[in-house]
Amino acid sequence: MSVEEVSQKFEETVSVSDNNEPKSVLSDSQFDVKHPLNTKWTLWYTKPAVEQSESWSDLLRPVTSFETVEEFWAIVQNIPEPHELPLKSDYHAFRNDIRPEWEDEANAKGGKWSYQVKAKRADIDELWLRTLLAVIGETIDEDDSQINGVVLNVRKGGYKFALWTKSEDKDPLCNIGARFKQVLKLGDDDHIEFFPHSAANAKHHQPSITL
Amino acid sequence: MVRYTIEELLQLKPSETLTANFDGAEFRAMIEKVKQLQAIKEEEYIAQHGGHFARRRSSHHHGKPKIKHTKPKVTTDSDGWCTFEAKKKGSGDEEEEDSGKETAPVQIAQETLKVKPNKNITSSRPADSKDIVADKPTLSFNAFAALESEDEDEDEDEE
Repeated sequence: MSVEEVSQKFEETVSVSDNNEPKSVLSDSQFDVKHPLNTKWTLWYTKPAVEQSESWSDLLRPVTSFETVEEFWAIVQNIPEPHELPLKSDYHAFRNDIRPEWEDEANAKGGKWSYQVKAKRADIDELWLRTLLAVIGETIDEDDSQINGVVLNVRKGGYKFALWTKSEDKDPLCNIGARFKQVLKLGDDDHIEFFPHSAANAKHHQPSITL
Repeated sequence: MVRYTIEELLQLKPSETLTANFDGAEFRAMIEKVKQLQAIKEEEYIAQHGGHFARRRSSHHHGKPKIKHTKPKVTTDSDGWCTFEAKKKGSGDEEEEDSGKETAPVQIAQETLKVKPNKNITSSRPADSKDIVADKPTLSFNAFAALESEDEDEDEDEE
């Protein structure tokens, strides 16, 4: 399913609910007023390759889109939690129709804040949920909408969290990085690293900022 | 810009399970299928490679095997000359050892090796015909006999 198809399906769902008269707390029946998010978000999933013939484009698929808090919770309740995912899986939540790829115009001049949880931690599901909530609630980036999306990689060595940004500007990025550390409950001894996408193909890919 | 803190969003989490705007069951089934395929592949790998017990010894994490190197024996005489007494090993020098040390205990081999000659590389024919000529007993050269025979030849020619 392409992004357009997901968007169309999503709009159909929203338009059907819009036709009904919104219900309030005072209504007799169920309260269904929705809390809108700042932008629409799309959830993507990278399926691990089980055959050699499968390419990256075959594996990366949009799952669904959401633009209210209630829709977000409905999705979270219906998808496996990070600890349930098979190895080499990725979850991506990206703003609007931005593809979770370096090549996307919105990502090309940006980079990512990255942190790897090396051990299999019991609170991994909670950390991913906190990251998602901080991103979709826009509290991780209070100054400007620098955030394009958030990624979780499930790997043999642990879980990797990445916050994708649209630029490499140091000042706003440092503010975001500091909040990202709070969201991940990291201490002063833990460090997160910022990698610009422009240097992603370099042999020895070094972080441009470390916090 | 609409903002929600993490705490506010958690408060908005519904207590009952909501229906998502996509087929969640299909998505979960796809992930379960991938997990099963991964498990089958892992089992196949273990069956082929014998699990982690069949791993090759890492040269990185373990030191080199300990080999005891015996120090060569050096004796110094009263004049200050050092003599190196190398230990002779049983590799090609057995004949010399036997001839030099008659008193040395003779070791009897515990195992008997049966060596079969390789028929493919042996031949009943000689390797070089020149060698046969050299090996054949030759008649000693008799100068007088040679002179006699030459005279006879000359006589015959003259006739």
